[in-house]
Amino acid sequence: MKSFAELIRQASRISGMASVLLILVAVVVVCQMIFVRKVLGQSSIWQTEFVTFALIAATFLGAPYILLTRGHVAVDLVPMLLGHRARVVLALVASVAALGFCLLVLWNSLFWWHEAFAGGHVTSSMWRARLWIPYLAVPVGMGLLSLQYVCDIWALVTGRDLPFGMKPEERL
Amino acid sequence: MSPLAIGALIGIATLCVLGTGIPIAFGLGIVAVAFLMIFEGLNSLNFLAETLFSGLNDFTLVSIPMFVIMGAAVASSRAGSDLYEVLARWLNRVPGSLVISNIGACALFAALTGSSPATCAAIGKMGIPEMRRRGYSADLATGAIAAGGTLGILIPPSVTMILYGIAAEVSIGKLFLAGVLPGLLLTALFMAWALFISWKRGEKLIDADRIYSLAEKFELLPRVLPFLIVIAGVVYALYGGIATPSEAAGVGAMLCLLMVVVIYRVWRPMQLWAILNDGMRESGMLLMIIATSILFGYMMSSLYVTQSVAEWIAALDVNRWVLMGLINVLLLVAGCFLPPAAIILVTTPILVPIISSVGFDPLWFGVILTINMELGLITPPVGLNLFVINGVAPDVRLPTILRGALPFMGCMILAIVLISMFPGIATWLPNALI
Repeated sequence: MKSFAELIRQASRISGMASVLLILVAVVVVCQMIFVRKVLGQSSIWQTEFVTFALIAATFLGAPYILLTRGHVAVDLVPMLLGHRARVVLALVASVAALGFCLLVLWNSLFWWHEAFAGGHVTSSMWRARLWIPYLAVPVGMGLLSLQYVCDIWALVTGRDLPFGMKPEERL
Repeated sequence: MSPLAIGALIGIATLCVLGTGIPIAFGLGIVAVAFLMIFEGLNSLNFLAETLFSGLNDFTLVSIPMFVIMGAAVASSRAGSDLYEVLARWLNRVPGSLVISNIGACALFAALTGSSPATCAAIGKMGIPEMRRRGYSADLATGAIAAGGTLGILIPPSVTMILYGIAAEVSIGKLFLAGVLPGLLLTALFMAWALFISWKRGEKLIDADRIYSLAEKFELLPRVLPFLIVIAGVVYALYGGIATPSEAAGVGAMLCLLMVVVIYRVWRPMQLWAILNDGMRESGMLLMIIATSILFGYMMSSLYVTQSVAEWIAALDVNRWVLMGLINVLLLVAGCFLPPAAIILVTTPILVPIISSVGFDPLWFGVILTINMELGLITPPVGLNLFVINGVAPDVRLPTILRGALPFMGCMILAIVLISMFPGIATWLPNALI
């Protein structure tokens, strides 16, 4: 399990890198779009959709890395008021619930993605982008996020991680 | 069960779920899914992935990561410190100059980012130790920065206003302009309080330990000016009709990245990667909250809760100012627990029809809402700015920061009252220019 957890952590980091690259490409494409429209006087065809899709993909692909680095904001008032043992229980409840949500989205997104893939769905714009490509970010991101949650729960149960990243003596 | 009763249940369930310390994005998603399943059956979940995806499929939202990257680039460099240093040198003969410089630097930095915690961290890193070294008390030094940082979401660009603009269908350009004068008013109120309290406590009012020569005063300007030019450029592109907020933000992000490389010599790939990585973490977190907040909003609307709550409040037939007071209290309480993005996306569809029906301007309300969100950023338990300050000055305890921030909260409430009495403070500029 230890090496599996390390493998998932590594996958989350790589997914995070892909997310950073997508954001960087989006910044460049926005500038290119303005150049094409304002300087060259041509109309932009694919840029608006591309940038929007890139950032949606960045959001889903970045989510596992953000979880790994504790970047998802949470209300930690109740955990701060509790003792260490109660905190572990609460962290478990929260993680299992979040895992449930991620699995549900993953399950649903697989059908949704397959429908777009098999049906050859495209966007209604002139670019006619194949929708299964941006849609793919949802099952991939949610799948990895679920695996990252499994690792987090394992680390919590085996005492490798502290609940909510708080030290036992940390109290409000 | 009546939609109002379902609404009450949703409220209780949301509090319980978020209370477990679950990430807000997933907590909102769980509540939305659970209520859809219970009241509309399993089939209602067929559109789960599609709702999350299409919630983000809006080019206007592109401006959020762009402004976040712009802020991350500036925050990673010494620009914040330089901005503060320039003001401190120019104003050092003015009474209370150090606090005033800090608040002024926060206001200027706010114009470069749409985020409050980023403003707090960038100015506080240099400002708080310097103020304390020169004898200002810890509560005033930290309180001023915690409050000054909140200007990040009022002075344009502002992530909060982009979201409100999308949810309320109000022009984002107009909203940005509407934030300018209230932002300056709040800056002036903060400075006035800082001056008054320094004078009352008998703290040293003139920080003129030394007199800066003209050369010293001009020395740092070349490093700060380019950033001010970028602000001017983004504003011009936005209001000159050259670019939409997302396009202006994209160019702003690119220019800020380039300037950080050229002016501050942040050119090593690892350093640049760190900036982008920070930007990705913040914008990814925000966009995920936005996606699930939209799912939450979809659930409320399909269970007819949004419409019923709006009708119920409208039927109360109370004086419109009493109503506005109640809305303010509601937003303040919500602001203590939830980040602005979630509050705005969940409450705006309910609140905007109500305030419009009693004759309030949604543009004006956008400003009032934003100041309320600012207050939430410096009130426990989820006052993000308080934790940022705690990170910058770890030896100052949270209650001390809070004590220092409390009078500044009073300034914000005063600003809400003033803008309510004179709505023109918010609406005059956008109506005159657009």
